[in-house]
Amino acid sequence: MKERQSPECATCPAHNVANLEKLGVDMTSLDFVLALAGNPNTGKSTVFNALTGLRQHTGNWPGKTVTRAEGSFSYGGKRYKIVDLPGTYSLLSTSTDEEVARDFILFGQPDVTVIVVDVSRLERNLNLTLQVLEITDRAVVCLNLIDEAERHHLKIDERQLSRELGVPVVPTNARQGDGIQALLKAISEVASGSFVCKPHRIASGSKELMGAVQRLSNSLKAKFPGLHNVRWVALRLLEGDARIIDAVKTGELAKLGRNEFQQIEN
Amino acid sequence: MTAPAFSLMSTIVGTVTLLVCFWPQTGLFWKWRRGLTSTRRVLMEDALKNLYDEEYNGITSTINGLSGALGINRNEAARLLVRLEEIRLVHAHAYGFQLTQDGRKEALRMIRIHRLWERYLADETGLEQTEWHKRAEKLEHSVTAQQVEALVAYTGNPTYDPHGDPIPTASGKLPPKKGKPLTDLEVNDVAKIIHIEDEPGAVFAQLVAEGLHPGLQIRLLEKAVRHLTFIAAGEEIKLAPVVAANVTVVVLPVEDQSLGPFETLASLDIDEVAEVLSISRNCRGQQRRRILDLGVIPGTVISVAMRSASGDPTAYNIRGATIALRKTQAELIRIHRIERAA
Amino acid sequence: MKAAEKIEQSILEEAAALRWDIGDNLHDTLLESIYQDASKIADRVVSTTAGKQHFNWERRLDALLTSRMFGFPLMLLMLTLVFWLTISGANVPSGLLANALIDRVHPWLKDLAAGAGLVWWLDGLFIDGIYLAAAWVISVMLPPMAIFFPLFTLLEDFGYLPRVAFNLDNLFRRSGAHGKQALSMAMGYGCNAAGVIAARIIDSPRERLIAIITNNFALCNGRWPTQILIASLFIGSLVPAAIGGIVSAAAVVAVTFLGIILTFVVSWALSRTVLKGEVSSFSLELPPYRPPRILQTLYTSLIDRTLFVLWRAVVFAVPAGALIWLLANIRLAGLSLAAHTIDFLNPFGLLVGLNGVILLAYIVAIPANEIVIPTILMLTVLSAKVTGVGEGAGVMFELTELDSYQRLFSAGGWTLLTAVNLMLFSLLHNPCSTTIYTIYKETGSVKWTLVASILPVVMGLGLCLLVAQIWQFLV
Repeated sequence: MKERQSPECATCPAHNVANLEKLGVDMTSLDFVLALAGNPNTGKSTVFNALTGLRQHTGNWPGKTVTRAEGSFSYGGKRYKIVDLPGTYSLLSTSTDEEVARDFILFGQPDVTVIVVDVSRLERNLNLTLQVLEITDRAVVCLNLIDEAERHHLKIDERQLSRELGVPVVPTNARQGDGIQALLKAISEVASGSFVCKPHRIASGSKELMGAVQRLSNSLKAKFPGLHNVRWVALRLLEGDARIIDAVKTGELAKLGRNEFQQIEN
Repeated sequence: MTAPAFSLMSTIVGTVTLLVCFWPQTGLFWKWRRGLTSTRRVLMEDALKNLYDEEYNGITSTINGLSGALGINRNEAARLLVRLEEIRLVHAHAYGFQLTQDGRKEALRMIRIHRLWERYLADETGLEQTEWHKRAEKLEHSVTAQQVEALVAYTGNPTYDPHGDPIPTASGKLPPKKGKPLTDLEVNDVAKIIHIEDEPGAVFAQLVAEGLHPGLQIRLLEKAVRHLTFIAAGEEIKLAPVVAANVTVVVLPVEDQSLGPFETLASLDIDEVAEVLSISRNCRGQQRRRILDLGVIPGTVISVAMRSASGDPTAYNIRGATIALRKTQAELIRIHRIERAA
Repeated sequence: MKAAEKIEQSILEEAAALRWDIGDNLHDTLLESIYQDASKIADRVVSTTAGKQHFNWERRLDALLTSRMFGFPLMLLMLTLVFWLTISGANVPSGLLANALIDRVHPWLKDLAAGAGLVWWLDGLFIDGIYLAAAWVISVMLPPMAIFFPLFTLLEDFGYLPRVAFNLDNLFRRSGAHGKQALSMAMGYGCNAAGVIAARIIDSPRERLIAIITNNFALCNGRWPTQILIASLFIGSLVPAAIGGIVSAAAVVAVTFLGIILTFVVSWALSRTVLKGEVSSFSLELPPYRPPRILQTLYTSLIDRTLFVLWRAVVFAVPAGALIWLLANIRLAGLSLAAHTIDFLNPFGLLVGLNGVILLAYIVAIPANEIVIPTILMLTVLSAKVTGVGEGAGVMFELTELDSYQRLFSAGGWTLLTAVNLMLFSLLHNPCSTTIYTIYKETGSVKWTLVASILPVVMGLGLCLLVAQIWQFLV
């Protein structure tokens, strides 16, 4: 079996064109698609504006970004499209916002998911981060509001965090534009495949749950080779997530796996 | 124009009539709408459910039992059973009645729909506990197979209804019955409530009013002829045996026991710190998911940041963020006080 | 294909079987696991360089803003300041805009049209009807919104507004609503359409619907001028001139308070009847205070809120302008359509203590409350056949002297009752069409849009009827 990140395809995008078009993304003349996820109040829209140069309204309330914002930019000769997902605390509840975010990351398979994290509230923001890392293994964590953390005398060891999470971690202060260049560099490295993420997977949990997840993932792995987030799919099936059950039934899930396979073989 | 006094009178009379008709909950219009059910098919479906229930609990079904459960007279109950026998859903034997294979299948289908509705009403609507059963009773009779599927998808394929009853699968499977009635406990047994019977409504309402719910741990203190006394959530509760029999429990091994008395988040004062022990089962649906997502889980250390100028919502420091919760929500979160902050 | 289906079926069945074992609290277990990992990671990477950061200005400020003693007075002070800045600050630019668009550009356009030899009805329809309506809406609406929204957004970005919601939640909880409704209400005092959009911040479906449906009870910026004008004409003039200003201001405040009371009453009734079954959950994050960026806020709130709302209003005002002009100028059996309709509506209008002119004005001025008074004036001239006032059939206008208003209104048969009921009806009538459209966009439901549109009219007509009956009984 070939490695997922085979050298001859270091720069080919991983996104799922058909699904992205279904989700309403205009795919003409693009190299990579990014998704921007994060808790409310983390300055997600500010990061979006800093990346794209757009001026979307930013505010302190959840649900500000109701109509999904899209923007694009070029970096290192490649064209990127960035989609701002609704700010959510989690991807597990059944609110519309969370479904929109979840579906985009799962079915759209963006090349990179940028997770904006408020440094001063790291633990709570890691909830969403860890959930995203279960779904996708191409992510960059943007440690935003670093100035606020400094004011609260908090110090973050971002290299340790990057080792823990298995994805690049970039400290930024998007309001001032600090760290945006580094963020762009990290994004391009993950998108082009020159940085291979080894995302953290949730390890704690009750014996019963982990046993059930293990059993179900084994069957899933056997039946859907190429699917890289089997554990997460197993968890969703165990929780009875209708959307995922549907995806299994209609074969949509099988296609996601195959899609990845084809790209590796190209 | 007519006499002013007359038109004033008629306006007042008109307003009063409107108010009497449409006053929330007790208005005539709402009462009339509630009374609009009870057709023959509904009765038949209810009868099947009742027969299955008795079979599940190991009771022989009789005409008397059925007439009591459905609130119809004996003649009507007899006619109903004859009709059910004609279409081969029920067959009679020497002591009473029994479901046939088809009858059981149909009964399980109805029970599935009923429990799914209850789950839906509990998780996805803001209705009171005592309303779930009543509404489900009405809703269950008028759904198509597709609507049931939609309901399943919407509620996330639940396995248990909010009273702790298992929901039959689409192919009609149910796990074997667990637990025993509260009345069978011995004094000093510690047990967990796994089910509260929602019929008759008056008894259920009493149990709800006492704050009992599936998942709650209790310890039996006294067992007398007229009443049972036990401790639940740190409070002493007395129930008549007839009432207590509607509560199903499983005895807990010592290591799983965690009785009260519990303090809740609502009892904390500003700057006090506590650790979350558990979130009550009465906090459910979207509300529960939201609270969990915010990081309120067993073990989380919470301190009180400030109280609203009007006294009610209180803001708590939860994992680095300041989150306001209402008193009714804070009362559902059991805590263990740590120490008074300096 | 069949084999594949079988595989999928077997996976689903395996999952279903395992689900019985794990039980019902998977969500709880899962989040516990995630948070366990999260706190392990956070422990390893975060370090505090100084002692507790707790006794800082943010904590002090929070304690002050939510204290029992100062919380509410400070809130009232802040809101009064915002309203005062809006009203006093908008006067001058509003006057300038009206002067430019109505007093200068309009005659200039008329001259141009006359010079070009335009047919009279084209000239009337486009310049007197459509242009005037749009100009009116812009000059009345733009300045206050351009001041109010940025101020509001600044308070929001700073983090004060969540504290207001926090302080007021107790009050709203009692009527089954959410504390954040205070903010959508406050936004509604600027513009109901913006208030309805602001209800997005409420994440519980039931409370959000309540906020949307009751937003109309907040007197919007298009209705303030009506209230103030009628109060000073009819109520202020009842008392000696020295205290006339205060009394008429008190009357406007009373109407505003009636709106607030009705918000609570209707919220209460809705949450117990039609909205009983909607999901309700409460959570309110109090974000840290962040210094607002003034220039960016000015820019974005102007783009996002002011221009957005204004554009919608103009789009709806244009057909209304055309309709008003046509009604006043199409003649049937010697009388204009407007006159026919007024005659038809008059008995009913008088029954509820209003008159046909007012009812017709409210019907054709659905697009924007701003054009209600000009329309009433024009229709009164038309139906009472006053000469020497106004600009001709179908041309909206305003007067400069209070005396001339009074003369015109008494010619139209107005009494004190008409004035009181007009103030009540201005508070309680259907939302303007911009708001109705926004409600539809936000709820995506025809049903709730209808409820939100019809409920206030029914209440308004009912209240006016009651007042009229009592009035006739007493007087």
